[in-house]
Amino acid sequence: MSFLTKRAWSPYAAGIVVGLLQIPAFLFMQTALGTSSSYVTISANLASFVDPSITTIKYASNHMSGAKNWWQVALIAGIVLGAFVSSRLSGTPRWGVSPVWAKAMGAHSPARRYFMAFLGGVIMVFGARIADGCTSGHGVSGIAQLAVGSFIAVTAMFGAGIIAANLIYKRV
Amino acid sequence: MSVFAAMLLGLSMGAVFGMALEKGRVCEGGVILCQMQMSRHTMLKMFLSAVITGLIVLSVMVGFGFAKLSPKATLFAADVVGGAILGVGIVIAGACPGTVLAQIGTGYKDAIFTFIGGLFGALLFTYLEPNLLKPVLTSGAYGKLTLDQVMGLPFPAVALSFAAILIGFLVWLEKVSPWQGEIGPKADGLVETPSAPAGEPAKA
Repeated sequence: MSFLTKRAWSPYAAGIVVGLLQIPAFLFMQTALGTSSSYVTISANLASFVDPSITTIKYASNHMSGAKNWWQVALIAGIVLGAFVSSRLSGTPRWGVSPVWAKAMGAHSPARRYFMAFLGGVIMVFGARIADGCTSGHGVSGIAQLAVGSFIAVTAMFGAGIIAANLIYKRV
Repeated sequence: MSVFAAMLLGLSMGAVFGMALEKGRVCEGGVILCQMQMSRHTMLKMFLSAVITGLIVLSVMVGFGFAKLSPKATLFAADVVGGAILGVGIVIAGACPGTVLAQIGTGYKDAIFTFIGGLFGALLFTYLEPNLLKPVLTSGAYGKLTLDQVMGLPFPAVALSFAAILIGFLVWLEKVSPWQGEIGPKADGLVETPSAPAGEPAKA
C-alpha cells in the first residue's frame, strides 16, 4: 500500500480516481459529483434554529432534507477525513497558513489572511450558487456530461480567476 | 435509498475524493494560485484527467443504458455571472468549494474561515434568490442543453472524441511542463524556497 504513504500522486492518477467516483454517484444516487449545494443544506438547517421561517423559502426547503442532499453533506465530510488520513500517512500535515500567501501578498498578519479566507469563502459559494455549480459540479461533472451551461460557467470561472490572480497578487 | 445509507455511501466516496485531492496536491492554495496565474498547471492536469475519465465512464454507462445523464440547465446569464464571481472567490480564498475541505483535513487553519464564509455565502444566496436574483438567473435559459444534442450526434461519439482531444492536449502539456517539477520540494506548489538552507538538494 505504498501509494498511500506517497506525498504526491501524479495529477493524472489523482484525476482518474476523481473521475471514477462518477460510477457510484450515477449508479446509486442518479446524480453527478458536486460539493457546493451541501453548503446550502448545512447553512439552511443551521439558520432554521434562528429563523424558522427560512423553510418557507423554496430554495432552502429544496436543499434541507432528503437522501441526495445529505449524501453530499456526507461527501464533503468524507473529503476532510480522506485528506486528513492521506496527509498523516505521507507525513505532510499542515498547520497555520500556506507560505504561498507571504509570497503573493508580502508580509501580513494572520488575521488579515483569515479575513481574506472568510471573504473569499463568501464570494466563492455565492457565485457557485448563482451558477448552480462549482469546480466539481460544473467543472468535473458538467463538462463530462457535455453540458453547454457548464462549458460557459467554467470558462467564466477560469477567465475571471486568471484576471483576478494576476491583478491581486504578486507572481508566485 | 434511505438517508442513512446515502450518507454512509457519501462518507466513503468523500474519503476517496479527499485522498485524491490531497495526493493530487490541489489541496494547496499555492497550487490553485499558480494555476490561476498560469505559471504551473497541476490543477488543470488533475481537473482535465477527472473530466476525461468522466467522459469515458459516462459514455460506457450511457451507451449500455446503466445511467441517465443529469446535466445542469443552461442559464446563460447565471452561468457567466456566477462563474465569474466563483472564479474571483477561488482566487481570494485560494480554494474551491470542494478543495477547501481537503485543506481543512490537512490542517490549514485559514481553510476553516473559508468554509464558514462559504456557509454565509450560501445563506446570502438563499435569502436573496426569490426576489433579487431571479431576473438574472432566468435570462438566457435554454434548458438542459448538451453538446451532443446541439450537434445531433450520440453522446458517446461526441464524448469520446472530446476525450481524445483532451488527452492529446495533456500529453503535450506534460511534455512542455512535467508534473514532478511543478509541485515543488515541499509539495505545496511553490518551486522556489528562498528560506531553505543553501545546498540542500530538492526532493521530488
